[in-house]
Amino acid sequence: MSHCPHRIFLGLSFVALLALTACDQAAVKSYTIPKEQPVVKSEPAEPNPMRPLSGMAEQAAAAGELEYTVPAGWRQLPASGIRKATLQVEDAELSVLVFPGDVGGELANINRWREQIGLAAVEESALATITRALTISQHPASYVDLIGPEKSIKGAILPFHGRTWFFKLLGPSDSVQANEAGLLEFLDSVQLPDNAH
Amino acid sequence: MPSLIKFFSSLKLTVWLLTASMLLVFFGTLDQVHFGIWQTQKLYFESFFVVWSYPEQWGFYQQLFWLRLPLPGGYLLGGLLLINLVAAHLTRFQLSFKKCGLFLIHFGLILLIFSELLTDLLAHESQMAVSEGQRSNYSENFRANELVLINRQADTQDTVHAISSQALSTLDAVAIPGTQLTIRCVQYFPNSSLIQTKEGGSASPANKGLAARMRVHIQPKAISYSDDEVNTVSAYVEVSAAGTVLGTWLVSNVIGDRFPPQMVYWQDQEWELALRFQRSYYPFEFELIDFKHDKYPGTEIPFNFSSEVQVHHQKPNLNQRALIYMNHPLRYAGLTFYQASFADEDTTSIFQVVRNPGWLLPYISVLLMGLGMCLQFGLHFYKFLRKRRGSPSAARP
Repeated sequence: MSHCPHRIFLGLSFVALLALTACDQAAVKSYTIPKEQPVVKSEPAEPNPMRPLSGMAEQAAAAGELEYTVPAGWRQLPASGIRKATLQVEDAELSVLVFPGDVGGELANINRWREQIGLAAVEESALATITRALTISQHPASYVDLIGPEKSIKGAILPFHGRTWFFKLLGPSDSVQANEAGLLEFLDSVQLPDNAH
Repeated sequence: MPSLIKFFSSLKLTVWLLTASMLLVFFGTLDQVHFGIWQTQKLYFESFFVVWSYPEQWGFYQQLFWLRLPLPGGYLLGGLLLINLVAAHLTRFQLSFKKCGLFLIHFGLILLIFSELLTDLLAHESQMAVSEGQRSNYSENFRANELVLINRQADTQDTVHAISSQALSTLDAVAIPGTQLTIRCVQYFPNSSLIQTKEGGSASPANKGLAARMRVHIQPKAISYSDDEVNTVSAYVEVSAAGTVLGTWLVSNVIGDRFPPQMVYWQDQEWELALRFQRSYYPFEFELIDFKHDKYPGTEIPFNFSSEVQVHHQKPNLNQRALIYMNHPLRYAGLTFYQASFADEDTTSIFQVVRNPGWLLPYISVLLMGLGMCLQFGLHFYKFLRKRRGSPSAARP
C-alpha cells in the first residue's frame, strides 16, 4: 500500500505521454467573420504594391547596396524599408527593390505591373513582345516596356544569385516615355555587390 | 513494480537523460545549419524520436551517406526527466525544513519543464499588418497555410471553412460541414513555382479557375528552410458536391488579392476557394493611427520605431489606445503585440502577435529556483557559521 502514490504517479505519467501523442485537431474549422469590405486605399503612389513579408527588409539589407549614377535632371530620394533606391524625374518615380527567390516568376511580376497601369494580364507567349534582353551589372536581365492608357511602366527584372532585383520607372505615360533614355543610362550604370564569383 | 519505480527514480537515469539531452542539442545544432531554426526545433525538440543523417553538404558524403544516428526527441527526454525528478522526490526525498531549498529548486525546475511543454503546445505566433488609418481584425501565420472556402452571400457576415494545409495533404477527402461539398487534394506541393504551360506541354490536372483561364501549372521546388524565405505552397484540389465532381482547381498562397477570386458554384450557393496563410480572427479591430520611423538627424540610422494604435472591441468598454514600440508591447485579450517590422514607405506597421497562455510560468519557476538556492546556501552558510563559533580552535592554525 505504501507504493500506491508512486504507482498512481507512474501510471498517470504514461497516460500523459500517450495523450501528448494523440493531440489532433478537427480537419475543418468553420467560423463566421464580420463582412469583409474591400480595402480602399487613399490613392497610393503605387497601387497594388508587392506584399511585404516577415524578413523581407532584412533580406533586402542582406542583398547589399547598389552603385549607380543619377541621370542628369533626375532627383535622388532617400531609400527606405525594402527599397534600395528611389529616384524621381518629372512626375515619374524609379524604384529599385530586391526580393529573395524569383517572386513567382517573370510572368507573374510583369502581369502585376500590367495590372498597376490598367492593362490586362498576358500569357507567356506574349512576353517576347513586351520584353527584351539587357545586361545589368554583367548579368542578363529582361527589359520590360509597358504602355498603359494613362500610366506606363518601363523597367527591368534582374535575377541575381538567388534574388531578384526590380527596377521600375512608373508614372504618367508621357513622363515615362520622355525619360526612357535616362532610365537606360541609369540601368547601364548600375553595379550590384557581387560576392558569388 | 518496485524495480520499475527504482529505475525511474534512479540518479543513473538522470545522468543518461542529461547526456542524451546534450547529444540532442549538439546534433540539433549541426542540423540547424541546413534546416534553419524552425524546422530543427520541430524535428529535434518537438518530437519523441529523431534520426540524424550524415549531411549531404559535408565531405565524404559518397562514402558516409548511410550514417544514421537515432536519438530520443525533446518530448521524450523532457517527459522522462520530469518523471525521473518527481519519482525521485516521491521515493527518496523527505520534506523537511533543512531541505526546503532543494524542494523549491526542484519544484521550480519541474515548473520550467512543464511551462516549456505548455508553450510548445499552446503558444501561437502570427503577424498583423495594418496601414495608417486602416483597421485589421486578423493576423497571419506565414509558416502555416490553409485552404479556405468562403461564402459571402449573407448580408452581415461571411462564413469561412478552413482546412489546414497539413490536414489537406494527408487526408483523403474532407467533407465541409454545413454544406454538401467535399474537398479532395489531388496533388500537394510544399514549395513550388507557378509556370505558364507551353503549347503541347504537360497539361495541368486543373480544369477550373485561374489555372484553366491562364493555363498555369505547378512546378515543384525543394522546400526552403531558410528563416527569411516563405515557401510557395500550392495544390490541385478537386471539389465535389453531393457526389458530383465540380472540377479541379489550382490553389496557391501566391495567388493573392491581385487576382480575381476563384469561385465554386453549386445550386444557388457560391464560395471563394483559396489557399492562404493561416489566419486568426479576433473579436476586435486594430487601427493604426500613426507609425513613426525616427532616424538620427542627417543619417538613415533608425533610433525608434513606434506605432500608435486604437483597439476597437465589439464591447466598447474594452476599447484601448496604446503606443507600441521596442520592448513595450501591448498585452491585450491574452495576446501580446510587438512592433516587428514596417513596409510601404513607413505607412504600414507589422506586429508580431503572440498568444502564450504560459508566459508567466518561466518567471515564476526562475523565482522559485532563485529563492530555493538562497535558502539552500543560506542554511548551509548558517550551519557553517554555527560550527565555527562552536569550535573556535578549529579556525586557528
